[in-house]
Amino acid sequence: MKHASFRAAATTALSLAVLGALIFFLLPKYWVFLITAVFIVGIALQSLGLVTGRTGMISLCQMSFAGVGAWVTGYLNLIGAPGGLAVWMLIGGLAAVPVGIAIGLPALRLRGINLAIVTLGFAAAFDTVLATITFPGQTTFTQVVRPAAFDSDKGYFLFVLLTYGVIAVVLEFVSRSRLGAAWLAVRHSERAAAANGISIPRAKLSAFAISAFISGISGGLLAGYLGTLVSENFSMMQSLALFAVATMAGAHFALGAIAGGMMIVLFPELLRRLNLPQDVGNVLFALGAVQALSTGETIAETWMRLARKLRPKRVVEAATAAGSLPEKTSHPAGIALEVRDLTVRYGTVTALDKVNLKVPAGTVVGLVGPNGAGKSTLVDAIAGFLYRYDGSILLNGKALEGVSATSRSKLGIRRTWQTTRIAPELRVGEYIRLAAGPINESALESLLAWFGCPGPETPISTVDVGTRRLLDVAGAVASRAPVILLDEPAAGVSYDEALKLGERIAAIPETFGSAVLLIEHDMDLVRRACTAITVFDFGRVIAAGAPAAVLDMPVVQKAYMGVEFEEAAE
Amino acid sequence: MDSLFTAAVAGLSAGGAYAILGVCAIFTYRLVAVVNFTGAAIGAAGTFAMVALFELGMPLLLAVLFGVAAGALAGLAIGLVMTTWFAGSNASTKAAVTAALLVGIIAVGLRLTGGQHPHYFPEIIPGSAFRLAGVEVTWAAVTTLVLSVAFTLLTEQFLARTRTGLQLRALSQRPMAAELIGIRVRLLALGVWAVTGGVTAFALMIIAPLRSPDFASLSLLVVPALAAALIGAFSSFRAALIGGVMIGLLEGSVSAIGPVSQYRGAVPFLVILAVLLWSQRGARWDEAR
Repeated sequence: MKHASFRAAATTALSLAVLGALIFFLLPKYWVFLITAVFIVGIALQSLGLVTGRTGMISLCQMSFAGVGAWVTGYLNLIGAPGGLAVWMLIGGLAAVPVGIAIGLPALRLRGINLAIVTLGFAAAFDTVLATITFPGQTTFTQVVRPAAFDSDKGYFLFVLLTYGVIAVVLEFVSRSRLGAAWLAVRHSERAAAANGISIPRAKLSAFAISAFISGISGGLLAGYLGTLVSENFSMMQSLALFAVATMAGAHFALGAIAGGMMIVLFPELLRRLNLPQDVGNVLFALGAVQALSTGETIAETWMRLARKLRPKRVVEAATAAGSLPEKTSHPAGIALEVRDLTVRYGTVTALDKVNLKVPAGTVVGLVGPNGAGKSTLVDAIAGFLYRYDGSILLNGKALEGVSATSRSKLGIRRTWQTTRIAPELRVGEYIRLAAGPINESALESLLAWFGCPGPETPISTVDVGTRRLLDVAGAVASRAPVILLDEPAAGVSYDEALKLGERIAAIPETFGSAVLLIEHDMDLVRRACTAITVFDFGRVIAAGAPAAVLDMPVVQKAYMGVEFEEAAE
Repeated sequence: MDSLFTAAVAGLSAGGAYAILGVCAIFTYRLVAVVNFTGAAIGAAGTFAMVALFELGMPLLLAVLFGVAAGALAGLAIGLVMTTWFAGSNASTKAAVTAALLVGIIAVGLRLTGGQHPHYFPEIIPGSAFRLAGVEVTWAAVTTLVLSVAFTLLTEQFLARTRTGLQLRALSQRPMAAELIGIRVRLLALGVWAVTGGVTAFALMIIAPLRSPDFASLSLLVVPALAAALIGAFSSFRAALIGGVMIGLLEGSVSAIGPVSQYRGAVPFLVILAVLLWSQRGARWDEAR
């Protein structure tokens, strides 16, 4: 992965350098000046793409953050602070961070729409405030001083391009890091992200803070570009238009951010030359955004898809074992997971009624029972996704009550879901790293090979559902957690694959050291994988013991098949 | 103190309008599952249609009726977009669509109404109703308040007691299931959009003369509207009603306090912040996450 990050970053840097050189040497001064704005807007778009495109939270006040950065830059210019524009705009960006966090905080634990409302509210409030306090030096027409080395318009273009390049390259690294994967995971499913030990508030807040910082820098750059600023530069309408363009162009891609910047800057220029009113642009942006939202594909994604068609088709490569699997992790012996008198009620319905269950270290315990017996509720309770339950759950003898889902995952309880919840934008390797935390390249490769998964550079979106179920299990195993809860891992998997999966699951304790609680309807898989079985019906444990004996018990067969064995009993 | 009271009462008519807008926002959210950022813009379209007709010499009453109809039509248009392309989308995508549409609507609206070009906004309900502790209470305030209360109660009763109301509730819970048992889902959804459009248009007509009356400012009244809806947690009409009126009163009071009077536009934002911080206490894992 490190290779891939460097390659992507180098590609970005190199293409920007070539593009910059072409613009700098070939275009007349007027166009260079105009295109400078493209890159400034591009930075603002990238900041929006980080929150909205990557993390899935709607932000409608991005230009207000830019306004904070610009205001601070203007103020530092006015008082003649040392360091010049480069330092001022960094301070401006930093000044926008607490504002971003303050706005992000109230929406942290709520759904994304609330953030849209609070950001729109902030944009409106910022408009009134800015109209009242005005920009520093606005009334005296004090120009923001550009850095001496980049004072001319062409020089300033280089300064902006350099800033854009640094931000784009850093973002390239961040987006391929575990943090970047966490953002995508949060956008796709917050619960699944928490089950992988990701702190949802931290992921959201970091996205918001970094985004505000970048946006603040774009504001500082704009201050140097225009010299003097007015509040209209950062009005709510600008934020809304930026949102529309980001949605249409796909601002979380480097390509989309540039394309969006070109639309915002060059479109009005085009309309002006055609003697058309410039606000037509906003109408087209709105329509474009609606179109992108309805197809679910941004302009950047469309281009990349078309470009991929031109390239020779890549075959999905299976992972090849580079080395041997690392040593199995040694966890404390004894009872790894214990459930004592667990009772869960949904209103008047009792989903689980004084359930007791033990998963000894080094074993695979099966949990079976008809639909609605309370199996998934048990997994939710153990993993910390239930708001309240009675009874207690112990990991290696320590009670977990009051511990959040994220913390339980970090302590060592991993779970999978009945339907796969892996963000399709990730690559196989990125997902395993997200689930596992720090893991070295050869361990990753050999783990994937052990499960028969595709190679780490394979995009999840090209992988079929059966394989994604395997990746779910592989991710949980890669974390080396003492306890792994598998919720119907074979659902949607073909019979042959299910048998293979059964063998793999049976081998998890001795290969990796984790104990497994396996929920499954496929009895062949259960027989193959489990050392003990517990049977649920209507929220109660009706049988427990060795697989063969338990599955032959009349009460179990009745629960599953509805067969009466009264005659046999008589 | 006296001047504060006067100012608070002056905020009453705005508060009534916010309440209506807030109730409309909840109505849209509960029944067609859209957090609608274009709500006030739809109303602004109706309001400016009324002004244009009035400027052309149409009698006020008739112009108001046509304006309300124009608001309903504008709502219907947004509803068509939402039901045609986004019926199956998640709440976040739908909200993004309305936020994007807001940009376009404001651009078109500003163009058609001549930007900041001043229009004459007739006072639909002029005059003072009565004096309360020495403060004039206008008919506009009384009307928006009465209207907001009536609209809230009517909506509640309609949803709770009528057959269409029952169908609408079914629609809001599971559109697909509602469709399978033979409810005309799309028609009902469009009806919701049209009704909220018309009502919003009328509410904005009453308070437009009190505002900086350009298309963009009226459209951005969606902020206090959503703040009111948040107070009602996007489910309680009554809480939104009270919340909307409170925001109006608060804005009025703030504008009377010298040093902060210019910042009264920030009031809805602060209310949103406070409400969200408060409502986070009980946040827990739900199906949508």
